[in-house]
Amino acid sequence: MSKVHVARPLIAAAALLCAVLVPFAYPHAEYALDVLFLIFLYGAMSAAWNIIGGFAGQISFGHAAFLGVGAYATMILWSGGWSPWATVPIAGGLAAIYSIVVGVPSFRLRGPYFSIATIGIGEATRLVALNWSKLTGGASGLTMAAGPPPQVQYLSALALCAAAFGISWWIVRSRFGFALAAIKQDTDAAQTLGVDTTLFKTLALALSAALVGIAGSIYAMHYLYVSPDSVFGFSTAIALVIMPIIGGVGTVWGPLIGAIVYTFIREQFAVKLANADLLAFGLLLVAIVLFEPKGIVGAWESIVARRGIRKRAAGATAGG
Amino acid sequence: MDTLSTLISAMLVAGLYATMSYGLALIYGVLKIVNLANAGFLMIGAYATWWMWTAFGLDPLLAPLIIIPVFFLIGIAMERTMIQRVVDQEPIISLLLLFGVWLVLQNIAYLLFTGDTRSITIPLTDAVYQRGDIVIPWARVYVFAVGTLALVAMQLFLTRTQLGRAIRSIAQDRDASRLVGIDVKRVNAIAFGLGIALLGLAGSLLALLYSFNPDFGRTLTLKSFCIVVLGGLESFVGVAFGSVALAVAEAFGVRYMPASLQNLISFVVLVVVLIAFPKGIAGLLRRRSGV
Repeated sequence: MSKVHVARPLIAAAALLCAVLVPFAYPHAEYALDVLFLIFLYGAMSAAWNIIGGFAGQISFGHAAFLGVGAYATMILWSGGWSPWATVPIAGGLAAIYSIVVGVPSFRLRGPYFSIATIGIGEATRLVALNWSKLTGGASGLTMAAGPPPQVQYLSALALCAAAFGISWWIVRSRFGFALAAIKQDTDAAQTLGVDTTLFKTLALALSAALVGIAGSIYAMHYLYVSPDSVFGFSTAIALVIMPIIGGVGTVWGPLIGAIVYTFIREQFAVKLANADLLAFGLLLVAIVLFEPKGIVGAWESIVARRGIRKRAAGATAGG
Repeated sequence: MDTLSTLISAMLVAGLYATMSYGLALIYGVLKIVNLANAGFLMIGAYATWWMWTAFGLDPLLAPLIIIPVFFLIGIAMERTMIQRVVDQEPIISLLLLFGVWLVLQNIAYLLFTGDTRSITIPLTDAVYQRGDIVIPWARVYVFAVGTLALVAMQLFLTRTQLGRAIRSIAQDRDASRLVGIDVKRVNAIAFGLGIALLGLAGSLLALLYSFNPDFGRTLTLKSFCIVVLGGLESFVGVAFGSVALAVAEAFGVRYMPASLQNLISFVVLVVVLIAFPKGIAGLLRRRSGV
C-alpha cells in the first residue's frame, strides 16, 4: 500500500512536467495544443465543481453563473484598459463573493431543494446578464480583438488545472475534507458533532466558485467573446455537472478523466451531428447513475478489487 | 377594468400552471423523487400533438385522447426499468438520473425535429372573446377547462377509488402502507405513470398556446418547481394555491418591470420562498393551524 502512496504524487508530478514541456517541444501542434488547453480548462472547472458537488455532496446545477461572473469581469475590465492578467484575481474574487451571496441563503435548503434552487440561481443570473445591457452588452455580448498567444493560454489553463487538483488532493487529506465528507454523509449528525456545516459548505462553495471564476477569465481570453448564451447557457451548466459524474464524483482524479472524456465526445460528435454529443452525455449519465454511481474511477476500482480477490484466492489455493 | 382583465388572464394561466405542476407533485408525493425530466415530457407532449396533426391530420384537440394513455404506459415502463432502482437511494441519485433522461429526450427531439420553432394554428387558436376592454383568447379558456377537468378527475380518482386511496396512503406513510398490505411497487409505477400522463396532457395543451422547440419547458419546469415549493411538495391543494399565487405575481409584476424579465419573477419567488419557508407556504399554514 505504501508503495502506491509514494508513486501516485510522483506520477502526477512527472505528468505535470511533461504537460508543461508540450508547447516548447511541439510549438506548431496547434490543434493538439487547443484540445489539451480545453481538457485542462474543463478539468479545472470539473475539479472545482467536485469540491462542492462531490466532496460536500451538494449538487449544483448553477455553476455556470460563476463561470459567467468571472468571464464578464475579465471582459469588462479588459475592454476598460486593464491587462487581462490583472483581472484574473478579480474574476476569481468576484465569483467567490457572488457564490457567498447566493450560497448562504441557499444552504438553508437540503438535498434536492438545494439543487433546484441552484437551477433558479443560474437562470436568474443569465436573465440579469441579458437585460443589464449597459454593463454586459446584452444578448450580443462583449468581444475583444486579440488575446494572449495560445502557448501562454495553454500554460495558464494547465496551472489552474494543477492548482485545482492540488487543492482537491489536499482536501481529501485535511480536516476540511473530513468535515465535508461528514456533511455529505449526514448533515444533521455532522452538525450535532460540532461541525459548523453552513460555514464549511460556504467555504467549499466559495473555493469552488473562485476556481470556476478564474476559469471564466481564461475562457474569456481564449474565445475573446462572452455572451449570456455562451457562458450562462444551459450546455455550460450541463458540462460542469456531467464531467465529474462521468469521471467519478467525489474522487480526486475522476473530474480530470471526466473532462478528457467530455472533450473527446464533444470534439467527435458535435462536429458530425449537432446535439449528438448531448444525447451521448445524457445516455452516459443515465447508465452511470444506474450501474456505477462512482463513474469511471469507480468502475476501475471495482475491476481492480475483483482482480485482487481472484489473485488472493488463487494464492490461497496454491499455498493450501 | 384593466385590473379585472389582468386577473382573469392570471386565473386562466393559473389553471394551466396547476395542470403541469400536478404531475410533479404527484410523483414527489408518492415516490419522494423530484422529476427533473418534467420539461422533457412537456416538450414531447407538445411535439406529439404537433406531429400527429401535421403527419396524420389529427385534430390537436383530440390529441390528448392518444397522448394520455401512451404517456401513462411510458411512465410505467420507465418506473419499472429505471426509477424503481433508485427510489430507495439518496435523493441526489434520482435527481441526476432524471436529469440524464431529460437530456436524452431533449436531444432526441433535436435530432428528430431539428431546433426550428414549431407552432399549432387551428381556428380555436385565433378566436378571441371581446367585451369592452376585456379580451380573452378562447384557446386559453379551452386549455383552462380541459386542465381543470383533468385535475378534478384526478382528485376524484385519488379520493373515491381503492387504488387512489392506496396512492394517497403511500404518500403519507410508505412503511405503514406496506404493513396494511398495499403493493407499494405496483402503486409506485401507477403513480409515476399518472404523473407522466398529466405532463403529456399539459404539453399537448401548452402547444395550443405557445410555440415550442426541443428546449421548450425549461422555464415552465422552473415555474412548476416554484409552484410546488409554494404549495409544499406533497400538498395537492397547495399546488392550486401556488399556481394562483405565481400567476397573479407574474401578471401584476410585469406592470413594474420590462416584460423580458417576467420569467425572473418565478425564480425570485422560488428562491425567496425556499429560503423563508423551506417547507412551503402550505407547510407553514399546517404548522400554524396545528394540524
